[in-house]
Amino acid sequence: MTQEARVQEFVAGFGALRSEVEKIIVGQREIIDHVLIGMFAGGHLLLEGVPGLGKTLLIKTLAEGLELSFSRIQFTPDLMPADIIGTNIIVEDASGRKHFEFQHGPIFAHILLADEINRATPKTQSALLEGMQEGYVTVGGASRPLPVPFFVLATQNPIEMEGTYPLPEAQLDRFMFKLRVRYPAIDELNAIIDRTTQIRQVAVQRVMSGPGVIGYRELIREVPIASHVRDFASAVVMATHPEWEHAPDITRRFVRYGASPRGAQALVLGAKVRALCQGRFNVSVEDLKALAAPALRHRVILNFEGEAEAVDTDTLIGDIVAGVEQHATQGKELFLR
Amino acid sequence: MADRDEPLPELDALVRRIVSQVRWRRAEHFALRGVFWGAVAGVIVLLLKVVVGAYWASVLAGAFVVAGLLGGGCWGLARRVAPLAAARLGDRAFGLEDRVATALEWAGRADRTPLVDSLIADARTRASRLTPRQIVPRVLPREVKWLPAPALAALVLVLSPPVPLPAGRLFDLPTGAEEAESTDRSAGDLLQEDKRPAAKDPLRRPALEERDYMPRTAGGGAPTAGDLSAIFKDTSLGNQRPDFNSFLKKGDERLKLLEQVDRLPDLQSDFTNNQYKMVFRKSKALRGGLRPDQISPQKLRELLEEMERLGRKGGNWSSDVGEGMEALEYGDQDRAMDAMEKALNKLRAMEEGKRSGRGLRGGRETDRDRERGRGGSSAGGEDPDFGESEGLLPGKGKSPSPKGEASKRLRANPYDVGVEGESRPGRKDGYDTNLTGRAGHTPSRLTYLGVIGQYRKAMEDALVREQVPRDYHEQIRDYFQSLDER
Repeated sequence: MTQEARVQEFVAGFGALRSEVEKIIVGQREIIDHVLIGMFAGGHLLLEGVPGLGKTLLIKTLAEGLELSFSRIQFTPDLMPADIIGTNIIVEDASGRKHFEFQHGPIFAHILLADEINRATPKTQSALLEGMQEGYVTVGGASRPLPVPFFVLATQNPIEMEGTYPLPEAQLDRFMFKLRVRYPAIDELNAIIDRTTQIRQVAVQRVMSGPGVIGYRELIREVPIASHVRDFASAVVMATHPEWEHAPDITRRFVRYGASPRGAQALVLGAKVRALCQGRFNVSVEDLKALAAPALRHRVILNFEGEAEAVDTDTLIGDIVAGVEQHATQGKELFLR
Repeated sequence: MADRDEPLPELDALVRRIVSQVRWRRAEHFALRGVFWGAVAGVIVLLLKVVVGAYWASVLAGAFVVAGLLGGGCWGLARRVAPLAAARLGDRAFGLEDRVATALEWAGRADRTPLVDSLIADARTRASRLTPRQIVPRVLPREVKWLPAPALAALVLVLSPPVPLPAGRLFDLPTGAEEAESTDRSAGDLLQEDKRPAAKDPLRRPALEERDYMPRTAGGGAPTAGDLSAIFKDTSLGNQRPDFNSFLKKGDERLKLLEQVDRLPDLQSDFTNNQYKMVFRKSKALRGGLRPDQISPQKLRELLEEMERLGRKGGNWSSDVGEGMEALEYGDQDRAMDAMEKALNKLRAMEEGKRSGRGLRGGRETDRDRERGRGGSSAGGEDPDFGESEGLLPGKGKSPSPKGEASKRLRANPYDVGVEGESRPGRKDGYDTNLTGRAGHTPSRLTYLGVIGQYRKAMEDALVREQVPRDYHEQIRDYFQSLDER
């Protein structure tokens, strides 16, 4: 199969998967696209939104559209790491001999939904760290690989902060994107009412398999990126650092820590998926601009002034991107250089 | 861009077209700049028409303009255009989403992936479909908007007669007769000018040791060129000698005057136009025959704020100002005006006290004595409530702040009913507020209504100026609101 054919297959598969999710989820096109981009890029996602916007439903529907195992963990304050990873239990065999046997936890699934992740204690949250970063977990001195692909989708509620344990920066950095699920528009709300209050079963078809997803991940990494586009991504990430010599004023004023190199990786990898799902063979600056906010908004830590002024990180990143673009292209003066 | 063997005719053609456009735009840009500077040079030449000659000046000016035009244009055409920069320009202009630039960059790379072939094929197809058009915008140099100025100046200078050149000598103070006189004097025995170093820079001021201190003749000696006596020689000053003795005598008299401290005015304060006086003027202008209800509350508030600021420097009217501010907050303008009047009276009294001479620096009565004098019967004795030992605690000591005095309106004001506390008779009426919680054992002696307005204002200022997190703003305001409700 030629590369063009593979790309066309990917575009078709991406579109089919999106269509299957859209059978259940009304609106939220951008969120669905970003979830799929994150999944194909091999990253983990954090969805933030008030209750009732369909975060959990979106992830469950995505799992149904893929031939992949799915498990869900409702995070609570009394949840223990062993409840996620699994534990060794004593088992008696037919001959009456007792031995330890590892009981797999819900983390051993292709798609893991960590619902309300900020309600569990940091100890339990960190149980996910090794699996998310390394792809295996260690129990009783033995490392156990997780199924491939392994995809964590976590949700959190931004308004009920009492009794929660906000994710530490180190753990937030392990999420490729942080997506903000917005409230639906009125026509979308009407469609939700129509779809969910009538007797009509909508079946989601399985359109892609696990090996298919892994194959596409390899294809995605082959997408070329021009040096000036790569430089743009680096400049955007560096511009989130207040100590950078070319940092814009808004960064110097409101940001305490900027995005890590993982942010740049997430930005470029996500841009590659976005380019490919549009049938394009190269990364463009527009891809980077579209994914700058989801890739960087949880990696930019505001300082006290930023918190006090209630600075929105999305607006901040938008300003940074605009400033970098202006600096990079220099508009009409380009050809005079 | 790496070297590549693969021919990409469509992409190369596209880039060549863009490079050509860029070159011509650059040529336009730099030619215009050249014309401007050529015109400036032409104007300078035309100014020198009297030297060069009218015909040649016009020819030279025209030549400068043409040279600027041609030089700028050639410079713009000759400058190199990076092909990748041109490709990026084309990508943006034709909406190719960085396809051409990426394809050109990756075509020559050793680590090219199979997808690069697809990219190149895609880019070539899209480039071949493009309709050639001008994509490079025209960028006018900054000098263009000033171009009419030298052009107009050149036109005027061409049509006008030659401008005379300025003379080499600007000033010639001595007249011809004086010069002759000076020459005669130089020949004389008295001054012996011929022995002096002749070539001195006329603009350079001679150093102290170089100056010639010579007795100034009352008119007998001939003045030299540049000598100031020559200027005054026809006036009465010309006959006067400097009288240093009278100068020293006058200085002694002034020094004696300085020793008489009581007779000296307080040079630290300007009685003609000080802040207090300004406040009086403002208050007079504010009232201006108007009824209290006709006066602008905003202006009244500003005036009270100014008085409060003055009070912080050492006045005893802060409680009245606070009362006025509070009355203003409740919309009681009559009471605010009364409070302002009281404060003004106190301010006036203080000013008059200063003018009497006792308050002068080095005077016979110190501030402390004056405070005691106002205290009346207990002058000289220790005040049991406000003793010095109590230092700067709120409401204690001799602090000029209003915290030590209780307002007489405490029982008359309906808002005082809600304050928990009891009045304390004494030399100065006080009002003890009962606190609850941990501070309950240390009853406050603050005049609650006298300070709450100031505290509320300080709170508002702090919310505006200082870094109080926004989430706390409402909480702080709620707290002060709850104080009002009590």
